[in-house]
Amino acid sequence: MERRKFLKLLTTVPALAATAALVSPLLRFLKPNVERFKITAPTALDAAHGEPIPVATLKEVSNPWDYKYFVFTQKYPQYTPEGFKAANVPGVVIRLPTKITLYDPTTGQGPLGWARDIGKTPKVSESDIIVFSRICPHLGCIYNFVPNYKEVTAGYGGYAPPPPRQHALMACPCHLSIYDPADPQLPGRVLSGPAPRPPRTFLYELQGENIIATDVEPGGIA
Amino acid sequence: MWERVRDWLAERRQKLDLFDETLVARQDNPLYLMGPMLYYFWLITVVTGVILMLWYEPTTTGAYSSIERIQNDIGRLAVTFLGHPVTLGGLVRGLHKYGADALITVIFLRIYRMYFLGEYKKPGELSWILAITGLILGMISGITGYLLIWNQRAFWAAKVVLTVPVYFDQIPVLGPMKFGSMIAFLFLGGPAVGQATITRFYAIHFGVSLVLLILVEVMFQRTRRKRINMSLFPLTLFLIMLIVISIILPAESGRRADPTRTPLPILSDWYFLALYQYVKYTPPLWAGLGPGLLIGFGMLVPFLDRSKGRGPLQRPFFTVVGALAVIYFLAFTALILFNIAVIERDPLIIMNITLVVLVLGLLWELRYRRRLRKAALSGIRPPVRVSAHG
Repeated sequence: MERRKFLKLLTTVPALAATAALVSPLLRFLKPNVERFKITAPTALDAAHGEPIPVATLKEVSNPWDYKYFVFTQKYPQYTPEGFKAANVPGVVIRLPTKITLYDPTTGQGPLGWARDIGKTPKVSESDIIVFSRICPHLGCIYNFVPNYKEVTAGYGGYAPPPPRQHALMACPCHLSIYDPADPQLPGRVLSGPAPRPPRTFLYELQGENIIATDVEPGGIA
Repeated sequence: MWERVRDWLAERRQKLDLFDETLVARQDNPLYLMGPMLYYFWLITVVTGVILMLWYEPTTTGAYSSIERIQNDIGRLAVTFLGHPVTLGGLVRGLHKYGADALITVIFLRIYRMYFLGEYKKPGELSWILAITGLILGMISGITGYLLIWNQRAFWAAKVVLTVPVYFDQIPVLGPMKFGSMIAFLFLGGPAVGQATITRFYAIHFGVSLVLLILVEVMFQRTRRKRINMSLFPLTLFLIMLIVISIILPAESGRRADPTRTPLPILSDWYFLALYQYVKYTPPLWAGLGPGLLIGFGMLVPFLDRSKGRGPLQRPFFTVVGALAVIYFLAFTALILFNIAVIERDPLIIMNITLVVLVLGLLWELRYRRRLRKAALSGIRPPVRVSAHG
């Protein structure tokens, strides 16, 4: 190797090393909850925490297709001097016409199967009450519960449901995803539009007359 | 290798042309007014933006009200127009908004001019790439800017745009490193849209323009070129147009952002409408990758298009691709404005049209080349490569 090349290399190495050493602190400047020397998988410390709240009484959703909107509050880490921010997760409680399996205790499967990931077990395994987060799993808008499916056809991109699904549907104003809340296998099944998955759900328990939402499925931007 | 790249860059830098400032001789042609207009509108936007900063309050609780005050109360004049008061604040905000709209329009038109006139060919590659970069930065500045109003449209646009990168986590191999969520969290300042988002967007909105303006100023100082290559007439005319439209059609504020309710229908700023319609049609990963590929295609066009001629008819395939882009931009915008799309039915039709048109373009290109070759065989020389502007 030429002397000139060798010397060039000798000065480049420390310069590059110094740059590399700056990556992690720089990232922590932009995102204070990143662990030291870690630049991948940053989401663990960004988990949200919510307080259980009563969202509806059984009387309010006594008949099939009764529904009630509510707002669940969660605390998110936020990169400001205050550090945390309370963000709202709008939700909807729906009384379905038939009972569906929400969680199978033996296999851990079902719409509420995600509870294991946050170390909880659903209190209700089979019910005709289901609680959805209204944050669209597509790109985060707030979707609506539309009691009349004809309104969905008229206002949300022309989707006409087949006869077995001609009941109340859920539809998102932003990109026109349509969900079926009462699908027996997969409640919230995507019927039309770009959404990649059904809406996220709430864990809930029944305390006397009250429906208490305790946790919301993690993921997405609130 | 390294030397070759450097030489290549040096040659392009000598011919670099950011605002058509080297094309003085073409000033009589409005197509070449677009460069200086770009710089002019940019200056108007930056100056009015700095004035707005005096009154704007970048907080979730104060932003909307401060904009309302700027619009209706600050610097109230003794004149009314159609019942609403004319204020200096409203005027400055109007100039900022319409100046920015004009800026984006001019960037778009100039890119199309450069495309259809083959100005991206040697030695214009670098100018072209910088024009595309300018468009991207302009759009970033646009989206970070209109969140600052903190109205419904802004809030949902910001949330939607920054949920898109989250889906990059699905890309095989690179995805599990979660760099997609990382991008979203860095811009939003956390996993939710809130105060940190406004602060960061404010910084980006301001920073993008100012840093670039300084760089451009350095370029002008070093090359001693004239900044605005326009006569006084269009200069005054455009300013008057902006002022008049700011008074007749005051910039809208919409409704204050409500994180628990998304209105139906909801639109974005006009230059995002086509993209918005595209997002309705595609799975969310492609909502991010599609525009990325489009930008990539834009950046690489000078290297993909190896044809000799500069005229649009001398390179049929790329002309067809460009025309298709214009038509889709207009058509998608129309679809979303009139709300006439059928989400289930349209994608298949669009795919088929695209495919057929591209194949036809390719056939046209082949036919054109065969004709050239025949002409060459019979002794007529093919056109030599000419420089863009003589």
